[in-house]
Amino acid sequence: MSAREVIGAGSGLAVVVGALVASAAPIPAVDIQLFQFQPGAVEVKAGTTIAWTNRDDIEHTVTSGDPEHRTGRFDLRLPGRGTSMTISFSEPGVYHYFCDRHPSMRGEIRVNPSEP
Amino acid sequence: MASVVVLTGCTQSMAQAPGHGAMASPTAMTSGTKAAQLRAGLNNLFSEHVYLAGAATNAALGGREAEFKAAAGALDANSVAISKAIGSVYGEGAEKAFLPLWRRHIGFVVDYTVGVASNDKGKQDKAVGDLVNYTQDFGAFLSAANPNLPKSVVADLVKHHVVTLKDVIDAQASKDPGRAYTALRSAAGHMQMIADPLAEAIVKQFPDKFAG
Repeated sequence: MSAREVIGAGSGLAVVVGALVASAAPIPAVDIQLFQFQPGAVEVKAGTTIAWTNRDDIEHTVTSGDPEHRTGRFDLRLPGRGTSMTISFSEPGVYHYFCDRHPSMRGEIRVNPSEP
Repeated sequence: MASVVVLTGCTQSMAQAPGHGAMASPTAMTSGTKAAQLRAGLNNLFSEHVYLAGAATNAALGGREAEFKAAAGALDANSVAISKAIGSVYGEGAEKAFLPLWRRHIGFVVDYTVGVASNDKGKQDKAVGDLVNYTQDFGAFLSAANPNLPKSVVADLVKHHVVTLKDVIDAQASKDPGRAYTALRSAAGHMQMIADPLAEAIVKQFPDKFAG
């Protein structure tokens, strides 16, 4: 898990972000393509790491909250085609996000409690 | 099916205006083919975009609020039609993504017009900068949709659209109707430089869907 960096741990959310690296377990993936987060909604268990990959030839961001109410929990910048970043979600909840450059682009991560 | 409705509708509109020089196709093409309908439909929509934008900015600069609202409403209906045409080729997701992106540049044009009307050079410059940046977004969108459309080429074409529309607004603001309408006709004619390559790239991408 080299090249990873803890960028935030606010409001019960531990966020780990970094360049996409090889992992034993499959990582749920969100493609950013044609100015859309695909899939737009993802449901995972707590502790899951999700990867975003930019397929467009323009910078996109994965910014927490919505344009009118930024939560400041995460703000990934994917500067061009082929760039990938990950976030680990440790706390259950619903996390809305958008692209700061293209505010009409919206996505949602629903994190369910992990099984005991 | 939506594509047939949208593009056939546009072709019928074109048929009602056969003398429109800006729509002349440089290549021989049977008018009834899907490819020809696509090209004519896109040309019609993009040309309409410029004329309605010009009507809206002229009303805004003249302080005619009711006319501006009507023109802006018609311009937005044109935006929706363009996004539906995109959606008819690339799907509902692309349509939903395209519409706010397209509307965004209209917002910047409004910003520029307000800057001109209020003689606010800073606002004008910011709007021009936003529009230039926007050309990269638009280029990225179309190149992502269609590998036959290089981002830089599309961005340059849209930049020219921005420049020609700026000429229209500047002429309207200077209260020179002759220059304004010449610029408007030029700006509308330029849209063929966007519509034709877009239509050709779509036909190349989906030859079975748009035979001809």
